[in-house]
Amino acid sequence: MIIDSNKIQKVIDDSPQDKKQLIMILQNIQLEFHYLPKESIGLVSEYLGMPQSTVYSAATFYKSFSLVPRGENIIKVCKGTACHIKGADLIIDQLYAGIGIKPGQTTKDMKYTIEVVNCVGACAMAPVMIVNDKYFGEVKCNRATKLVKKG
Amino acid sequence: MVKLQINGKTVEAREGEMLLAVMQRMGIEVPTQCHHEAIEPTGNCRLCMVEITKKNWDGWKKCVTSCLYPVEEGLIVETHNDKLFEIRKTILDLQLARSPHSDYVAKMASEYGLEKSSYPVEPQGDDCIMCYACTRICDVLGKSAIAPTMRGHEKIVAGPFGEAPPDCIGCLSCAFICPTDHIKWNDKGNTRTIWDKKFKLIKCKKCGKKTITREFADYLIEKRELPSEYFDTCDICKRQETADTMGALVVKAREATI
Amino acid sequence: MKIDSIAKLDKWRKEIQTKQKAIKTKILICLGPGCLAGGSDKILKEFQTILKKKKIKDVLVESVKKTGCHGFCARGPMVIIEPLGIFYSKVKKVHVKDIIEKTLQKGEIIEKLLYKDPDTDKIYKEWRKIPFYARQQKIALRNVGQIDPDEITDYIVNGGYSALAKILKGMKPDEVIDQVSKSGLRGRGGAGFSTGRKWVTCAKAEENPHYVLCNGDEGDPGAFMDRCIMEGDPHTVLEGMIICAYAVGSQEGYIYVREEYPLAVVNLQKAIDDARKFGLLGDNILGTDLCFDLKISKGGGAFVCGESSALMRSVAGEIGEPRAKYVRSVLKGLHDKPTVLNNVETFANIPVIIEKGADWFAAIGTKKSTGTKAFSLAGKIKNTGLIEVPMGIKLKEIIYDIGGGINDNRKFKAVQTGGPSGGCLPADKLDLEVDFDTLADNGSMMGSGGMVVMDDRTCMVDVSRYFLNFLVEESCGKCVPCREGLFQLHKLNEKICEGKGTEDELKLMENLSKTIISGSLCGLGQSGPNPFLSTIMYFRDEYEAHVKKQECPGGVCKKLITYKINDDCNGCMACLSVCAASAITGKKKEQHTIDEVKCDRCGACYAVCNINAIDII
Repeated sequence: MIIDSNKIQKVIDDSPQDKKQLIMILQNIQLEFHYLPKESIGLVSEYLGMPQSTVYSAATFYKSFSLVPRGENIIKVCKGTACHIKGADLIIDQLYAGIGIKPGQTTKDMKYTIEVVNCVGACAMAPVMIVNDKYFGEVKCNRATKLVKKG
Repeated sequence: MVKLQINGKTVEAREGEMLLAVMQRMGIEVPTQCHHEAIEPTGNCRLCMVEITKKNWDGWKKCVTSCLYPVEEGLIVETHNDKLFEIRKTILDLQLARSPHSDYVAKMASEYGLEKSSYPVEPQGDDCIMCYACTRICDVLGKSAIAPTMRGHEKIVAGPFGEAPPDCIGCLSCAFICPTDHIKWNDKGNTRTIWDKKFKLIKCKKCGKKTITREFADYLIEKRELPSEYFDTCDICKRQETADTMGALVVKAREATI
Repeated sequence: MKIDSIAKLDKWRKEIQTKQKAIKTKILICLGPGCLAGGSDKILKEFQTILKKKKIKDVLVESVKKTGCHGFCARGPMVIIEPLGIFYSKVKKVHVKDIIEKTLQKGEIIEKLLYKDPDTDKIYKEWRKIPFYARQQKIALRNVGQIDPDEITDYIVNGGYSALAKILKGMKPDEVIDQVSKSGLRGRGGAGFSTGRKWVTCAKAEENPHYVLCNGDEGDPGAFMDRCIMEGDPHTVLEGMIICAYAVGSQEGYIYVREEYPLAVVNLQKAIDDARKFGLLGDNILGTDLCFDLKISKGGGAFVCGESSALMRSVAGEIGEPRAKYVRSVLKGLHDKPTVLNNVETFANIPVIIEKGADWFAAIGTKKSTGTKAFSLAGKIKNTGLIEVPMGIKLKEIIYDIGGGINDNRKFKAVQTGGPSGGCLPADKLDLEVDFDTLADNGSMMGSGGMVVMDDRTCMVDVSRYFLNFLVEESCGKCVPCREGLFQLHKLNEKICEGKGTEDELKLMENLSKTIISGSLCGLGQSGPNPFLSTIMYFRDEYEAHVKKQECPGGVCKKLITYKINDDCNGCMACLSVCAASAITGKKKEQHTIDEVKCDRCGACYAVCNINAIDII
């Protein structure tokens, strides 16, 4: 995937030039490209006047940042306590059987990425799966793949 | 001045001083890994822990890292007891599993009667004990070329993307401060290599000896406002040059008086 | 329109009251996370579409209101018709027409949508009478599920910002702190530190500026109270923070929200923008000398950022590595300046305490834990949802009277409180009174208020493994005991789950736990071994079954169980179609069998079998 660094620069330029806003700027870039393109580390470092290692350190410390491209559709499986005891693992197993990838992976055609996420605070309807920000509650494992494909 | 009690002895200390400094002055030895005079303490290794209490704490005690705990009036400090021994021993035991090839860790652990780890050893484990001494010294130098990246058990000290750090100037401070000699470097011919980055070494104009990297020299010239040719000659030749000039002056002066 | 005086605020409130009186009937539609997943947004639209075309007495399009979480998530999506309090649960889009034509037009009740108590078969028309709600007392959650979080007017008409007006009219900052201290309010984030004491220390700190921070990084898995407050009643958080700012002399504040809560960010931002527009935030609030402004700081997905020093570093744009806190953050907090950091629920209590007085609040709950506490009920319990109860209520009352007992009437095994730092309490602790100290004395903790109920099909060794795995992933990695200690503790726990653990290793784990607790730098490590320690304290027999007999009594640990299909099997093929390992064979309408060798014990067959024809051995 090739990302125009001018486009990254534009996102950066729209953000406040303040070291305190480092995480926010990275979030803005990720919002635009669904991940942090490699060039963005250097561009942010230049913009904020901070070492590249500091920017990279933050990008790898916070779990929400991805340094590799992610698929068009992001599937999040909640691994909160309630989801765990109500069978979140089964959903992961069934998704693997259905679309052939494990958490943290992206399908070759860049269509899907599966992520295991910390508790999303929808415990009352555990187990929970989120497909592109749409919540699915009380997910039956045998329906997981269908729900994903339907979107 | 603040009065406190360490291992039963009453001592005086300057306000703001850390417990560890006072203990070291008294000749009390506690193990440390991440402590170093040149850098700010961070309390990563936890080995310098001591147990503190106060008269009005009703017998309640707590463990604190002495490198970070400022002296307090009336503080009662214990630096060695069974509990602290157990904490230090367990920490070293864990490090033996994580860094099984490190002589440094092995030596410290053997002082606690540990020959091998009680935990499953990680054969792939490297010698980095994550004391942050390298990143802190790099911060002090004003470069912050390397930093702790990732988190938790996966945490490593590295440059961005694990590649040669763009801000590294090859000064070797990190390698020299590293207690376990984990940071490898070498000088071959005119080239220095560290963190997978190659640097050109400056050759002394006079004697041909290799000194520091061009990048480090330029950084110092800029930071300390030195003359741009400052690093063209090495320290010894510079001294020799000064001696020669001074000598010539003395000779001239002597001739003049005669 | 700027509200630049207290008199104008009162006048505005009266105007809204008059306007809202015209809307006699209100249809509240819960858009909390549970109901939303059930399609409540579509229900809302359907109501609006139909009502636009229809003329009904006392019912307008404005009668339809979206609200935050109403609490009874297990029965969602729900529609509530006020003022009668008619409670329709499990509503679908197709029901909307019926509700409008029967209930709204003719006043008829649709019985099949009412709540029926599964134990007594009693049908309830009004939500307040349902046992789930009847035992609750709402202070922090008073508006959640009752008002439209996007409408500042909804908050104001329900008495919003009147506590702020009260202090600005005639209370000095130390009088405000005095009220908070006297109320006995303790931090709702988990540790239970006295809020008043925190405020007084910050107020007295000589260094300037002072900051006010709100911790909305609700990281404990199984907890969603703060989410519901931020989403459902954002103004109460704002008002609590402004009152705090007045009390401690601050002009700048931040709300730190975890990135997993995008709607909370949206709703809080709308509330902040509105408050600013009307002069309730910014310079010269309500025309007085008080100046205070707020920003949202979004987390990046790190549990450790719930820890105060890590949170403050994160707000400052750094990585969330905690610092050793031998100088308390209330004195050296954000940017090393005096900082009050309170949790969302704590701030939500403040306006009510100011309004009704410290004595009123202190009379609720127990002597040392005053007031109420919000809990989220989840796990294998019938009435999952969001509740608020007086402190001192018995665990049993929460789980059975409010929670309705265990799913499928199975046997209760444990309740997990306090998230990864808390612990699991067994059946013989159900009589415990829920307050900060009692829970801590019994090896658990209040935490932020997540309660996850577990039945006899839960393995406590697996629960411990789950939490340790979570903590290993979330440890920042700075100090040795937490980074290496939790890592090894988890590995040893995993070995037990595989039936390979030894009794010596159990002892090693107990010893290691001691060092992690006293040796770690921050709260994450210091409480990290709790999941293991509390489960081994109350469920040692389960650990021993794994270690000595290689058995998993809960039937969870994959390496120690086998699945078998019994004679009840009717050959429905459900298990066969879900088996990823192709281990199940059998013809339609004939009994199936599982090939033990091929089977990878994923448990999918067990989960999909509706007639209990699969046994775990």
